[in-house]
Amino acid sequence: MLWVDKYRPKTLDQITVHQDVAQNLKKLVTEQDCPHLLFFGPSGSGKKTLVMALIRQMFGASAEKVKVENKTWKVDAGTRNVEIELTTISSTNHVELTPSDAGFQDRYIVQEIIKDMAKNRPIDSKGKRGHKVLVLNDVDKLSREAQHSLRRTMEKYSSYCRLILCCNSSSRVTEAIRSRCLNVRINGPTDDQIVKVLEFIGKKEGLQLPSGFASRIAEKSNRSLRRAILSFETCRVQQYPFVSNQAIPPMDWEEYISEIASDIMKEQSPKRLYQVRGKLYELLVNCIPPEIILKVIILSQFLLIFSVLMCDLYYLVSQRLLYELLKKLDAELKHEVCHWAAYYEHRMRLGQKSIFHIEAFVAKFMSIYKSFLISTFG
Amino acid sequence: MDMDIPFPDELELLEEDFHLYEDYMEPEPPEIDDEEEILEKEPSDSPIPQSNSPRLSSIASNSVTESSSVNGLKRLRSDDADAPMELVSDDAEPSGGKKSRTENSMVETEEAWLRYSPPREKNSTVEEETSLVGEEKTVFRYVTEIDGDFMPITAPDSDERVYAKLGRFGDKEESKKLDLKERHEGIMPENINVLMERAEKEALAKTLEASSDIQLDPSPPQGPVMQERLWVDKYAPSSFTELLSDEQTNREVLLWLKQWDSCVFGSEIRTTSEEVLSSLRRHTAIAQHHRLSGSSFTRKNKFQGRRTGNFQDSTFLDQQNSIANGSQDTLSKKTRLPSPPEQKILLLCGPPGLGKTTLAHVAAKHCGYHVVEINASDDRTSSTIESKILDAIQMNSVLGDARPNCLVIDEIDGALGDGKGAVDVIIKMVSADKKAEKENGSKDQLGKRSSQKGRRGASLSRPVICICNDLYAPALRSLRLMAKVHVFVQPTVNRIVSRLKYICNQEGMRANSAALSALAQYTECDIRSCLNTLQFLYKKKETLSAVEIGSQVVGQKDMSKSVFDVWKEIFYTRKMKLQSRSGGKFRNVCDKMEHLYSLLSYRGDYDLILDGIHENILQLNYHDPVMQKTVKCLEMLGISDLMGQYAMQTHHMNLNVYRPSCIITVHRLVAQVQRPNIEWPKSNQRCRALLLEKTDNLRSWLCKVPPIISRHINSKTLVEDLVSPLLHIISPRTLRPMAMHLLSEKEKDNLTQLVSVMVSYAISYKQIKSDPRLNNTRHEATLDGSVLALDPPIDGFVCFKGYESCHNVLPLPMKQLLIHEVENQKIFQGSYGKLEHISEAKKVNHEGSMDKPLRGGLMKTDPAALSAKNKVDDRKSYSAQHRPSHPTSASNGNSAPSVSTKSSGAQKKSALGSSSFFDRFRKSGGKGSQNTDSIDKKEITLERDLRPFLFKFNEGFTNAIKRPVRVREFLL
Repeated sequence: MLWVDKYRPKTLDQITVHQDVAQNLKKLVTEQDCPHLLFFGPSGSGKKTLVMALIRQMFGASAEKVKVENKTWKVDAGTRNVEIELTTISSTNHVELTPSDAGFQDRYIVQEIIKDMAKNRPIDSKGKRGHKVLVLNDVDKLSREAQHSLRRTMEKYSSYCRLILCCNSSSRVTEAIRSRCLNVRINGPTDDQIVKVLEFIGKKEGLQLPSGFASRIAEKSNRSLRRAILSFETCRVQQYPFVSNQAIPPMDWEEYISEIASDIMKEQSPKRLYQVRGKLYELLVNCIPPEIILKVIILSQFLLIFSVLMCDLYYLVSQRLLYELLKKLDAELKHEVCHWAAYYEHRMRLGQKSIFHIEAFVAKFMSIYKSFLISTFG
Repeated sequence: MDMDIPFPDELELLEEDFHLYEDYMEPEPPEIDDEEEILEKEPSDSPIPQSNSPRLSSIASNSVTESSSVNGLKRLRSDDADAPMELVSDDAEPSGGKKSRTENSMVETEEAWLRYSPPREKNSTVEEETSLVGEEKTVFRYVTEIDGDFMPITAPDSDERVYAKLGRFGDKEESKKLDLKERHEGIMPENINVLMERAEKEALAKTLEASSDIQLDPSPPQGPVMQERLWVDKYAPSSFTELLSDEQTNREVLLWLKQWDSCVFGSEIRTTSEEVLSSLRRHTAIAQHHRLSGSSFTRKNKFQGRRTGNFQDSTFLDQQNSIANGSQDTLSKKTRLPSPPEQKILLLCGPPGLGKTTLAHVAAKHCGYHVVEINASDDRTSSTIESKILDAIQMNSVLGDARPNCLVIDEIDGALGDGKGAVDVIIKMVSADKKAEKENGSKDQLGKRSSQKGRRGASLSRPVICICNDLYAPALRSLRLMAKVHVFVQPTVNRIVSRLKYICNQEGMRANSAALSALAQYTECDIRSCLNTLQFLYKKKETLSAVEIGSQVVGQKDMSKSVFDVWKEIFYTRKMKLQSRSGGKFRNVCDKMEHLYSLLSYRGDYDLILDGIHENILQLNYHDPVMQKTVKCLEMLGISDLMGQYAMQTHHMNLNVYRPSCIITVHRLVAQVQRPNIEWPKSNQRCRALLLEKTDNLRSWLCKVPPIISRHINSKTLVEDLVSPLLHIISPRTLRPMAMHLLSEKEKDNLTQLVSVMVSYAISYKQIKSDPRLNNTRHEATLDGSVLALDPPIDGFVCFKGYESCHNVLPLPMKQLLIHEVENQKIFQGSYGKLEHISEAKKVNHEGSMDKPLRGGLMKTDPAALSAKNKVDDRKSYSAQHRPSHPTSASNGNSAPSVSTKSSGAQKKSALGSSSFFDRFRKSGGKGSQNTDSIDKKEITLERDLRPFLFKFNEGFTNAIKRPVRVREFLL
């Protein structure tokens, strides 16, 4: 097993990163009064781990015994029958599913399947703890209709069914649902927390961690614990006696995006845009979500803007004044780029063909940057 | 005399003969006074008549024989022949007198007659309707009187033939002929078409034979009724030569119809053989030439006069051919089976107004069919249509004409739901037919003939012509495969204009050809709309002028263009005449926008159009220094996309009307004068397909991963966070590909860890066919053309085009080792799960606890010692020692000493008297706990565990001990 899985805390007590949250949850559960829960936070921050630990806390070790079912549901949708394939992970007391897997048909899952599951009350041998937990992943990807149909279900069966919703961004969960849940924000672990976890793992594995190495990994991990641990293990595999300046292998797709970014910086023309488009397609094909592409492009562009400007700067070392000007312009540029990035990302979410909008952003950036260069350097 | 059937070769010759005439006539001015012509000809033609007289006589005799013979075609023909004869009612004495005359001449020229018979015969068939009739009319008067030379003359407009005696009767003849002409003038207007058709038939020599059923007056009466009729109907072509459509298509259609002859009219009738068809092909090409010159009547006249001369040329060849054909004919008669053409359905398609329906009707009539039309106005559900089609195909009307039916299904693509019924029925019939043929082919032909006849009822035995506008309509998909498809192309503007001009002249409407050609262009050569427009204008007493066409009543065709045209329109702009009119430029722009807007909204498929724009826009050469145009264009695309998405989501489809404006903006920004090189937008499609595939891959991989892990990841995080590190982790650089037992402790540890990772993420390697492209990038050795690749192809997720990932690729032996280990581990885990169950059931506590260290130890030694061969070797040597001495199941006493070398526990067991050889070793685990003297036992088990007993099933010696063994037992 990977270290990520191996050192994943199993119970609420073991949790180190979000200890306060864990303790609160524990209290909540032990008082037997658990509302619907909505966990939200960036990926790799430990939502799922918390949820699992919580379920374990509720039902004991039996919750660990799960089976995977891949089942086709036939839903009667008025005029026609809809067939939906859905994978569920279930134990006796809880069911995990990702309704957004069904795409635009997620409404039927919520309306029929979840209702169906929620209706069936598990019969406990003792008879008193007869409630059941539904864990829904990626609620923010649910369509609006599905979310609307979810709220009635949440109320109607609340006496014996608890919903635990997980998502990355609460902004895309409707007000109605948010108000029916206890919202738990799980923020990404800070670098210090990540370092602590890494050191803990290092100790368990009996590894020598040079000072600063863990913090470098943490820094690179973008506040994602999963990524930090994975790159830690990668480093371990690649070269064991760690060196403090050891290279931390980057994510391939990030590398690729930074290649794209430097392409953009090198030349701004429709031709170059065409090449960039090809690369963007490559990324999209490989299941990289377009939002992330946009985000990473912006980030790497900022880095590059700096470096490019620095080069120019050395070139124009004598002109101190211009340097100040540049710095100022640079900030303005940043601002503008951010603005447009947000603009196009918004469009991308509203629209259908993400490539149009990413490309529009790239073109916009090229345009801004080029006119900036022209106006600055003539 | 058996002269009825012309031999193909002869026909061919005749054809050539005919062509010569035609060629000859070509340069002639349209209006030639035939009298003059005759006079001119007289000297040059004088030798010819000599040879002609016998011919004439033979024709006469032919007519006699034919009238007596009563087979189907003949009947038809004689019917036909009757009609003209009625027209010529003034002819005093019918064939009787002629006969007598011909007999005379026959006697006189017996030898010559015999010699000429083949061509004559052809002549008789070819010219039967025309020349013969003509003969009858005029010859009565003159030919009987002619004892010497004479010359056939055809009147310029009546197309009747007179025979002029040469020399001394010249004056008389002239005057009489003039009389004749005058007389016929009265009948003329009604007969014109009959005669024309006849002439036409002559032109299409072999076609004539079958097509004896020319209608008497297909042309509209030109009397007072004329004002009420639509010009479109009034001037609809009634004969083959008048067709405006593309000659190539006309010919092909006719050819196809002729191929039915053998099947429809039966074999007893002269059928057109291949040679004839080919000659037809040539002929029509030539005939087409003359069609538009509009002077066919006079030409025919010339043609008749000229004919005699050419016959002489051809006779020699004919003679030769006749000999060969005599033998061939009998052969061909036998071999020729009445079979329809290969493709039994003709599908005509093309834009409206080009004359598809007209062609179908005219061609069918021409070939002697009775046209049964089914069009969109009829009920076209499959049940009604089936009976209708069957009626049309299998029956002939009892009353009226006995011509076979030809089914024309018009507008077959029109109504999708209803039209499909017809398509299905036809397809069913055709396929049934094919099946029947196949069966027939396999069975004995003679024996099955009767049964096949029965089946034939349901099959297609009459020509079916389907007409559609859109060849690629979904309803026609299956039909398209089995039908002969002809696509109509627009006729040239010239042809349309000349026809229009002719009509205008006829109607007394003034129109100059410039205006007419503008009209034709404007309507895209839709003759129907041209005519309608003209008539409309005529009624309004307006004249057509070229400039005003756009603003005049002519409606533009509402035709959607292909999407490529749309893209072209978007990316292409005409060079504007620079400020020739300053106000005009603005108008131009407006017009262009209007045009583009209507184009886009007719087309409608905005998503596709957008994709196309997106795909091609960056390839254009527009001037764009700071990329502002590009930004704007992409912005527009984005807006259009947003609108589309919004309209889709909220079902406000009416919002789509705003989408073309975005595209027009793009056009204004980037349109260039150069022709754009437009490509079909593939990349978006490709991207979508690949994405789906990869997502599926991901999902199935996730399903394989045990839930304890997979619940924490979804496909998004898998790609984002997991894949790259995982690839690094499972391909460590430090691992050396060497034998297990040579590895150090630490390396073994690493290996164990690696294997467990691979197992927990359900990753393995598998053999795939080597991809030559991949091979040179990877440095691994390939064995017999196959490589080991990761089983869920997760490395695909980091393989971007033009990107070299820094992942280490394990060498081949390492991979093989890993496969083996992973398999082992999986089996082990499976059995471990079971074992746990068992041990739990037995409540053997210490067994469970002991199991772990034991397995831990094994896991470590696993790579080294577990590699099966070592164990096998061990066991082999062991059994090799003992087997020979104990061929049967080993006795306890004998085996005891050898066992003692292994372990004391086993020794004890053996003393207990286990039944099987292996039991002595195996039982220890299970029974150890049952033993009462536990202290002693514990020691023993401990001792045993220190030296785990490894054995392997030993093939080749199975006869010694047989016992069911589980894999897990080998591993333990």
